[in-house]
Amino acid sequence: MAVRCQFESSSEVGVFAKLTSGYCLVSVGSSENFYSVFEGELAEHIPVIHATVGGGCRCIGRLAVGNRRGLLLPNSTTDQELLHIRNSLPDSVVVQRCEERLNALGNCIVTNDYFALVHPDLDRETEELVADVLGVTVFRQAIAGEALVGSYCCLTNQGGLVHPLTSIEDQDELSTLIRVPLVAGTINRGSEVIGAGLVANDWSAFCGLDTTSTELSVVESIFRLRDIEPVSFMDQAKASLIENLA
Amino acid sequence: MVTYNLKKIQLVPGAKDLIDIVLSKTQRKTPTVIHRHYAIARIRQFYMRKVKFAQQTFHDKLAQILEDFPQVDEIHPFYADLLNVLYDRDHYKLALGQVSKAKSLIDNLSKEYLRLLKYGDSLYRCKMLKRAAVGRMCTIVKRLASAFSYLEQVRQHMARLPSIDPHMRCLIIAGYPNVGKSSFMNLITRANVDVQPYPFTTKSLYVGHMDYKYLRWQVIDTPGILDKPLEERNTIEMQSITALAHLRAAVLFFLDPSEHCGYSWEQQMALLYSLEPLFVDKPVIVVCNKTDLSWSNAQRVEEELNALLDNQQEKKGTVSELETNNNKKQQRLTICGWRKMSTLEKTGVIQVRNAACDWLLSQRVESKVRGPRAQSILNRLHVAIPAGVDQNQQEAGELSLCRPFIPESVWKKRQATTTNTAFHTEEEMEREEEDENKQPKQSNVVVLEKDREMAHGGAGVYSSDWNKQYWMRDESWKYDIMPEIIQGHNIMDFVDADIDERLAALEEEEVAREAMMNVDNDEEEQQEGEQALDQETQQRLQRIREKKALLIRGRSKSRNPIGANKMTKAHPKRSEDWKQQWKELGMDESFLQSTTQQIISNRSQSREAKSHSPAPRSSSRSTSTYRWNQTKADAGKGFLNHQQKQKAMRLARKAIRGISKKDRRKGEADRTIYNENPKHLLAGKRKLGKTQRR
Repeated sequence: MAVRCQFESSSEVGVFAKLTSGYCLVSVGSSENFYSVFEGELAEHIPVIHATVGGGCRCIGRLAVGNRRGLLLPNSTTDQELLHIRNSLPDSVVVQRCEERLNALGNCIVTNDYFALVHPDLDRETEELVADVLGVTVFRQAIAGEALVGSYCCLTNQGGLVHPLTSIEDQDELSTLIRVPLVAGTINRGSEVIGAGLVANDWSAFCGLDTTSTELSVVESIFRLRDIEPVSFMDQAKASLIENLA
Repeated sequence: MVTYNLKKIQLVPGAKDLIDIVLSKTQRKTPTVIHRHYAIARIRQFYMRKVKFAQQTFHDKLAQILEDFPQVDEIHPFYADLLNVLYDRDHYKLALGQVSKAKSLIDNLSKEYLRLLKYGDSLYRCKMLKRAAVGRMCTIVKRLASAFSYLEQVRQHMARLPSIDPHMRCLIIAGYPNVGKSSFMNLITRANVDVQPYPFTTKSLYVGHMDYKYLRWQVIDTPGILDKPLEERNTIEMQSITALAHLRAAVLFFLDPSEHCGYSWEQQMALLYSLEPLFVDKPVIVVCNKTDLSWSNAQRVEEELNALLDNQQEKKGTVSELETNNNKKQQRLTICGWRKMSTLEKTGVIQVRNAACDWLLSQRVESKVRGPRAQSILNRLHVAIPAGVDQNQQEAGELSLCRPFIPESVWKKRQATTTNTAFHTEEEMEREEEDENKQPKQSNVVVLEKDREMAHGGAGVYSSDWNKQYWMRDESWKYDIMPEIIQGHNIMDFVDADIDERLAALEEEEVAREAMMNVDNDEEEQQEGEQALDQETQQRLQRIREKKALLIRGRSKSRNPIGANKMTKAHPKRSEDWKQQWKELGMDESFLQSTTQQIISNRSQSREAKSHSPAPRSSSRSTSTYRWNQTKADAGKGFLNHQQKQKAMRLARKAIRGISKKDRRKGEADRTIYNENPKHLLAGKRKLGKTQRR
């Protein structure tokens, strides 16, 4: 099931949390409400930890990138923050700080456990680091003409949601490349920054409070959070989608 | 899309109130003190300001009213007609027209009086002119009294109108009074419309909302309609007609075959036929309500309604047949379908709703697909499936080639929830409830961080325990304090998790290397022995080295600033010296006999006379060990090596060149008075202060 939530009246939950199948990083708010949403859903399966990056910066979801095997942090991460994250995550997760000019790694990289799409301008060393630390095959790619793949895409091993203006050919090409089904869509009542509005892993997803029921259903079908699978869902909901969007 | 904020219209004050408001505002917001002896320009300006201010305030108030109330010609026809039905379009337009007229009258009036005020020649006249102007404005507004009171009533009524979005997906419930329209409305939405067992309970339009197929639907409950000509219909019925006429919606036409509503089946069907012109391009669903009651004419009902359905099919087939038919009116009516339902027993309600929604949706989608925007969203209806997925996998729903990672605990929890929420019969539920009452279930409620926060002082007070979840080899390490900086060193720079292992490895390597080196050295020595120089060559080499060292030593002395010119004389300049030198080095002196000899002898001859005599003395001095030690640089005295020291001394010499000996003692850091007799202190007339300070 996908859960709607909010971080201090902001619907951009993907900015304030990083969710993978192995762990979940949640940024620090003035209250524990946001953390508890994740804690309640995930704490019995994976570690859900408070984390900050770059001297208390709360936008952890945009700065860090990771999957089940590893976590890459930007060079602004302080030693204490790195130590805290290292201590909180199991030893199977490799935590690595990365000297990259484009230091909002979460915006520049999107990954599941097998493949990663990265910003075309990313350093060669970073690309290698992504491949080594996260154990993925890396492709330099833009989505719908947007180089910030991490902002405009959300990816799990089950599927992916991409920028609403991605053409059908691009979707097919991308999906063949990263070997998961893809759907173009929006989140948070028409917002195209998917990465900011949504975090997902193989069995759960969290999206902003503004998300409409149609958007939520698309998310649930493509990420296989319920029994319905995306193709049959699209057939069912085609009329509703046309009615809603056109 | 246009939105009408009928609920946000500002209150329309009565004419008297408006006058009071404006006059008091003028009094408060303009200057009040004026005297006869003031300049006439000032007096005129004073009164002109008052007139202008009053006019502006009236203008603003009236403009606000005109802006707030919707213009009948500009709004959606549904609202235009509704306004006409409820408030009488002519009256409404007239009232707004009056207000608009009054506004322009006031504007013109003030312009006229301002012109007159320019020629006012005394305070009294100016005041009279102002009085006349404001008085006439008030008279104009006073005439608006009836318009204002009407508009205020309209405003109050409008604020209570349901906010119907004319462009939204919409179901309209229509039919004779007391056939169960409002009960149906209450069942499918949460509008909570008043339901009473007498006709005309619903006297105006009601709107409710529901969700179906991920979309939001608007349901409009209309007052009951009787079958009579349009001209004879009253306001209540006309509201229903307006909604039916202008909203692009699915029409649910309710019939009561049991005739308990007080109208016969024929009457009801007649109404259905007479409303036909309003049903063009709308999906119409006939709903036969009250299946819980006995229908005396059940068979006839079915026949007639099925005939209507057939009509539609025939109409689709051939149009010409239609013209020949006698009962044209009846023939023209097309319905999408008909359903039986009971709002009392709540049977068939959802089927009716779904059928109506589906028909409307398909109709709307059909028109939208043809529209220009449909193309732009086609990519969002597409599921991109990776190329490697074959047909079988697709059918099985396995679209991803990446194996997902889902922990065991998640599967367990999913199974648990599915069994919990599985369908229970009521008996089971009751039994469970009883069990719960007997022995309270073991609460497996997880205490969340939020709960802990609430228990410990709430947000801002509570700070959560971050170390709790640390994965440590030893539990007691969790809360160990790891300082960031110790003695100015960032300790993370020195942390090395596997330093012991690496050190061991390094040592091992070193041992191995040393062993290798020993073997190598032995071999090398042997090789060297074989290639050793002969005795004579070695001696020669030794001498060369010694001489070289001597030369270097001598040169370094010669660079010493003290007695420098004497030192240079120590160099052998004559050809004999050179020969001697070469001889000492064990080289062949005959080499010098050739061309170079001439050059050297020439050069030495020219200098011989001057520099010959002092040489012995200086050479004896140059060998003084004391001087030598002084010039030799040693580590820790600020120089890396001898060359560096030499260079530093040279630069120091250069720096003091041309400065008198007395001044050499003064450094740049010493206090200097550049001008001991400054002119500004000493020259000119002295008013204040002394020679030293002024």
